[in-house]
Amino acid sequence: MSDLANYQELARKYGFAPKLESASRLTQLVARQDSDVDEIARVINKDPALRDRLLRVANPNAENPVEYTVETVEEALIRNGIGCAMVLAMGTPLALALIKTFQTMLTLKLGLIDRHHAEPLEDEHLLGTIGFSGRVVGAVYLRMNRSSARTIAASILGLKPEEMNDAGEIRDVAGELLNIMTGNFKSNLCDAGLDCRLQPPDVKFSTDPCSPVTPGGAMERMAFRTEHIQLFVDVTANPWSDD
Amino acid sequence: MPTKILSVDDSRTIRLIVGKAFRPYDVQIVEAANGEEGLAAAVREKPDMIILDVTMPVMDGVTMLTKLKENPELKAIPVIMLTAESGRDNVLQIAKIGVRDYLVKPFKEDQLIEKTARIVSLQKKPAA
Repeated sequence: MSDLANYQELARKYGFAPKLESASRLTQLVARQDSDVDEIARVINKDPALRDRLLRVANPNAENPVEYTVETVEEALIRNGIGCAMVLAMGTPLALALIKTFQTMLTLKLGLIDRHHAEPLEDEHLLGTIGFSGRVVGAVYLRMNRSSARTIAASILGLKPEEMNDAGEIRDVAGELLNIMTGNFKSNLCDAGLDCRLQPPDVKFSTDPCSPVTPGGAMERMAFRTEHIQLFVDVTANPWSDD
Repeated sequence: MPTKILSVDDSRTIRLIVGKAFRPYDVQIVEAANGEEGLAAAVREKPDMIILDVTMPVMDGVTMLTKLKENPELKAIPVIMLTAESGRDNVLQIAKIGVRDYLVKPFKEDQLIEKTARIVSLQKKPAA
């Protein structure tokens, strides 16, 4: 029996959720390095959510589609490079893992929102970072205001927000959220042959709202909201690293 | 005698969630923050079951699982992997070493209880 067939049998036995086909296909294409733009564009154009996200990444300063200067998937890939597609492929399992974490562990419905419609971060906010290296180099940044961090930590640990005053516990919960999100996309990358290693999460309170873009790479900025909680996730990656 | 479960995870959050999940049951939870501490706790405590993370500092879950299976006194202890990593190579390697079940984070406490109940006896604590 092949490794793939073995894995599929184990996935059924252990009750794994099915992987998202468009994200897996996109990761495999980008991992091949010799895929042409048309091939990648076909996959993205078949998934309206992926197409919308790519155009948002390609027009970082536009507040809505009317302001887009890059209007097609092909143009976005040519002007911004395949790294854009890589970031999308990584952002999908990451966003799904975050939404699923809120559903399963906090019983909250978290939704992806337009970042331009999000409330701004406070000057000092919680910043969690996980870097990764290998055949893909980059980082994931998770940001949220103190009140959101406290509400999430209390909910996960089964406490009331007013009982959640230990900054160490709040940081630990944010670090585990990052671990869960990045662990899910790391599996997607490794399955496509892009082996990478995750660094331990670094969680602190920061006043700097800027997430640095990986040299030679692209970045996707996402915002999520549910009642009383707002999160910002930035993913940056360069799939052609020699690290 | 309560069922003894060893929870090995570098995240205090996960260890707290595991502890909370088993609170209604007659279960004694022993905690360890990495594979090295986990092995020492397994030797010392002889748990009925181990819940094991993969990515941890000092000694990761795959190394701990390998050492556990090499030890004649510990190899029969059933292990559930509890990890965010479900990549093909990882899962195949871990299954080959030998685990009873595999739960991918994020998870519901009910899922952990259900998988545990298939392996060890879980008795509800009498109402206070």
